[in-house]
Amino acid sequence: MALRKRPEEPRPRSGPSASGTRLWTWLMIPGTLWMTGFLIASLLLVATLAFGTTDPLGNPRFGLNFENIAAMTDPAYRAVLLRSLGYALLTCLICLVVAYPVAYAIALHGGRFKNLLIAAIVVPFFANYLVRMYGWSVVLSDDGPLLKVLRAVGLADSDTKILQTGMGVIAGLVYGFIVFMIIPLYAALERMDVSLIEAGRDLYGGPLRTFFFVTLPATRQGAMAGCVLVLLPAMGDFVSAQLMGGPDQIMIGNLIQDKFFQGQNWPLGSALTMLMMAVLFIGMLGYLRRTRKDEAEATR
Amino acid sequence: MSPEAPLLSRRSFLRTGSAAALGLTVAGCGFLPEDPAAHGDPEAPIDVRVDGDLIYFNWADFVDPAVFKGFEKEYGVKVIQSNFDSMEGMAAKLNAGNRYDLIFPTAKWAERLVSGHRLRRIDHSRLKNADAVFGHYDYFADPWYDKASAHTVPFTMYKTGIGWRKDQIGDNLTGSWDDLWNARAKGKVFVLDDRDEVLGIGALKLGLDLTTADEGDLGRITGTLQSLRPHLRGFSSDSYNNLLNGNAAMTQAWSGDMAAMLGQAKDPSILGFEVAREGAPVNSDCYAIPSNARHPGTAMLFIDYMLRPENVKKNIEYIGYPMPVGGSEDTYAAIVEPFPECLVTAGDLKDDFFFRNGTSRGEQARDTAWTHVKAG
Repeated sequence: MALRKRPEEPRPRSGPSASGTRLWTWLMIPGTLWMTGFLIASLLLVATLAFGTTDPLGNPRFGLNFENIAAMTDPAYRAVLLRSLGYALLTCLICLVVAYPVAYAIALHGGRFKNLLIAAIVVPFFANYLVRMYGWSVVLSDDGPLLKVLRAVGLADSDTKILQTGMGVIAGLVYGFIVFMIIPLYAALERMDVSLIEAGRDLYGGPLRTFFFVTLPATRQGAMAGCVLVLLPAMGDFVSAQLMGGPDQIMIGNLIQDKFFQGQNWPLGSALTMLMMAVLFIGMLGYLRRTRKDEAEATR
Repeated sequence: MSPEAPLLSRRSFLRTGSAAALGLTVAGCGFLPEDPAAHGDPEAPIDVRVDGDLIYFNWADFVDPAVFKGFEKEYGVKVIQSNFDSMEGMAAKLNAGNRYDLIFPTAKWAERLVSGHRLRRIDHSRLKNADAVFGHYDYFADPWYDKASAHTVPFTMYKTGIGWRKDQIGDNLTGSWDDLWNARAKGKVFVLDDRDEVLGIGALKLGLDLTTADEGDLGRITGTLQSLRPHLRGFSSDSYNNLLNGNAAMTQAWSGDMAAMLGQAKDPSILGFEVAREGAPVNSDCYAIPSNARHPGTAMLFIDYMLRPENVKKNIEYIGYPMPVGGSEDTYAAIVEPFPECLVTAGDLKDDFFFRNGTSRGEQARDTAWTHVKAG
């Protein structure tokens, strides 16, 4: 009897089997529901409260009040928002410049120490952010170790200060968020096909030309992801400006914190939060358009 | 179990969820409203007896740990501690439905909680040691924030003044808020990161009401404080570290922080503290029992225990704040001997430089003024 060939079953799109794929789909559901539900619920709460008022006891009340939106036209908020954006962008740039060589060295020259080196970067990050920033503020203080060393070698005088300056705030932001830049860059460099670098060299590209025309474009996605991951928290951060900033370094996060914790003006705090999110959303849109374009080019 | 994170039953989860959903859909309704009446009559007298462990909610490190241990041992209960870092944070936790047996609001917040029916009545005649407070400090027998102190017992008192580094500025200042504009301290002056305290500097300097919400007054206050900006190095309530690590040559400071510094500084003689003649804001923290407390009897026992002379002494020595308890004055005077202006006298209380609650609109106007002062 001739054996009949069984019709070929459709192959699962990914994973070892269809039942395995179904399992993973089910496992994704709780997390997705949790994130979607709570993210949307909290965003709705903040968005709705932006139109609210405050009762005589200081409790926020929902309503249809546009005073908070009107209050944001105050030039003081605009100046602080622009300053925050400037600090966040500068932080991004410094993180990129500092993190790239670190990620490059670990990914391409880390050898068997790769995981250990990544752990050395990530583990301190688990320490409480506030505690790390307090520690950093002690290091940068007028009588702190950094300025003492700089004074001893003649690079600073008795009037030089880092705390309560823009430099102090940006130093804090870079210190706080640089790990968000290193990790995506490391992942991109690790994934990169190193034969591309060799090909660049074969085509008589020097190390610099190879880096700028081969390595950098190949890891652009990682750099962009890192920039987004640094920009978002840096823009809303208030700890760095509070501990390391002076009166001229107030950031939008500090004003939002004040509205919630000092003035007990949650509605205005919510309106400012929405304003900040709107500014960040524009940046996110740019990122999404760019990544979609890159993906389209890659699959062409 | 942490009192901050009570286990959320399915029912309470659904109730909270429904309340939030309702809040989102019905314009004008309250934010996570809580019905105080749901927890029984707040005016009902409290039996002073152990009715469970004490769930305590206060600033961190504001009671000597030895005092807690003594209470636990004597009454066979546990003190379950939880801390807040601002009055607003405390109110938010209460509004969210957390249940504490004992809280410590400031005068202004005590008034808010009393008017919102959030506090249980405290019958002073049931406290053996209450006379040491109300029999010696007339002011607290009928304070502005709680008629006849019917829902509160005062805990600490403090003032706001100017702390400075004598080694950088000199031994003596002029005794005015003008000292913050001192040329020798330029660029090394801090003010507290606190709306009422900072607006208060301008108000007192200009002879205005301490918590004015008048637009014209606030404009003048903002202008005065803008002129301080070139002298300012920052807004920070960490006076303690700012003075000790040399970042501040001068700072607006709470008297209790200055008293604490006396015990911590390597050389306290380089520090000075003055209270301005234009007036010094004064404040008081109180004991209060929330209307939804599970163990109000234990809370009453704890208040009485804290008012025993030996415990008052221990606490004053531990936290550096004076307490309005008759007979404790010498203890505090000995601690702040180098800074006698830390003492809060009956005269200071009578001067009545307390921060008061305003209307919603008034609070918003003050809030806007604070933004202008802070953001420049």
